[in-house]
Amino acid sequence: MHNGILYLAGQSLKELMLPIIGSELIVNLIMTLICIGILFMLVAVSALVFTLGERKVCAWIQVRIGPNRVGPWGLLQSTADMLKLLTKEDIIPHGVDRWMWVLSPILIFIPAAMVYALYPFDDGVIFADVNIGLFLLIAISSQSVLPFLMGGYASNSKYAMLGGMRTVAQMLSYEVPMVIALMGIVMITGSLKMSAIVEAQSNIWFIFLQPIAFLIFMVTCLVESNRPPFNMVEGESEIIAGPFTEYTGMRWALFFLAEFANLLSIGILTATLFLGGWQGPDFLPGQLWFWIKAFLMVLIYQWIGWTFPRTRMDTILSFGWKVLLPLALVNLLLTGFGIYIFKWLL
Amino acid sequence: MWGKGLVTGLKVTWGHFFGKKETVYYPEEKLPMTERFRGGHLMLDVEKCIGCKVCAMNCPNAALKLTVEMDENKKRHMTSYVHDIGRCMYCDLCIEACNFKALKWDQNYESATYFKEDLIYDAVEEAKNRRDGNE
Repeated sequence: MHNGILYLAGQSLKELMLPIIGSELIVNLIMTLICIGILFMLVAVSALVFTLGERKVCAWIQVRIGPNRVGPWGLLQSTADMLKLLTKEDIIPHGVDRWMWVLSPILIFIPAAMVYALYPFDDGVIFADVNIGLFLLIAISSQSVLPFLMGGYASNSKYAMLGGMRTVAQMLSYEVPMVIALMGIVMITGSLKMSAIVEAQSNIWFIFLQPIAFLIFMVTCLVESNRPPFNMVEGESEIIAGPFTEYTGMRWALFFLAEFANLLSIGILTATLFLGGWQGPDFLPGQLWFWIKAFLMVLIYQWIGWTFPRTRMDTILSFGWKVLLPLALVNLLLTGFGIYIFKWLL
Repeated sequence: MWGKGLVTGLKVTWGHFFGKKETVYYPEEKLPMTERFRGGHLMLDVEKCIGCKVCAMNCPNAALKLTVEMDENKKRHMTSYVHDIGRCMYCDLCIEACNFKALKWDQNYESATYFKEDLIYDAVEEAKNRRDGNE
């Protein structure tokens, strides 16, 4: 039996609706729609919060103050930014591959938002607790490679094309060490189910059992979500904004939204897979533990991002294939031996 | 050891994150200008000035228009000292030329105006206003 606050709230809402509506099928449908709405809200709010958060963190690290004019402490800055982007003229440049160009920002948002269905936010609070959770998560998130390339190709601009090619190169190469690093967790848990992975950490977090995998996962996360110091896809000083170069207004904002959804995603993922997810001492509800861990990880990712200068494309690739992949394989081997010895000892 | 530099970098930024910020909230706070900063209005010391007009003669842009009158003791007084900031290039030659050190800059760097007429001012009047304000 689950006892997360959100789970209980959902159950009581369900019980409240059942006598009014009568049909359990319709109640379940409504609950599903509510959950989808909440997940989309989460993505949108994360974009609003992180636009300001990112700029503040970046400013503090660079000994600046950051946005402070719009509202108290610049709290309304992201609202003002959003309004600006919404009211901007929608420019479709000549020579773009129109359909692909228009589809790219829409398609990039789908995998970024879809992975939220697989995150266990609290005890029993997971939209789709499927058996192949982790596998599905990686499969969905790797779909974001294609829209980048689509946008890059369809923009008919050399910078966009370069950015698109870089995305494919770095995101595909880093998926390999990421998956192999996560394999250690799956081996220990014995399941791909997200809720099972969190429950397996009730005694000890996986960061202590799999420290090498944790480090590899952090690096690959930064690369996969195109965060600095691995933001080769945008690389402002080299290729302007990569695949986003030709986009304006709301279309560009969708890329932006996906980027911040991904930032929260990697924070949640690290917290879930290595820091015990919603589990924590009883004096705080699981929901709160979850968000503390996720935001802490986001902060750490931002901290890393704003500390190191951007790497070079070839060093990223050689680091991925020549260092991280062998390291991940060694970790896999060690985990196998460890499990074998552990079973033999029992 | 490999990776030591990364940790050092993280330590530095960690310190910056919580440390004191360099940015000044500009319109509310202002940084003091350095001593030799050239800019703003000319401050004329009417007591020291002998009305020799050497400053105006030295001005390469003819930004200074002075009128001088002589009193009964044959002493020269500055009646108006019109400085056109629009013509001024802040070369400092007027101040360097003054033998009596009667001129200096007021070091105000906010000299932008909406109308070009506002760029013209009378330093004698400003000196009077300053004196009246002090009393």
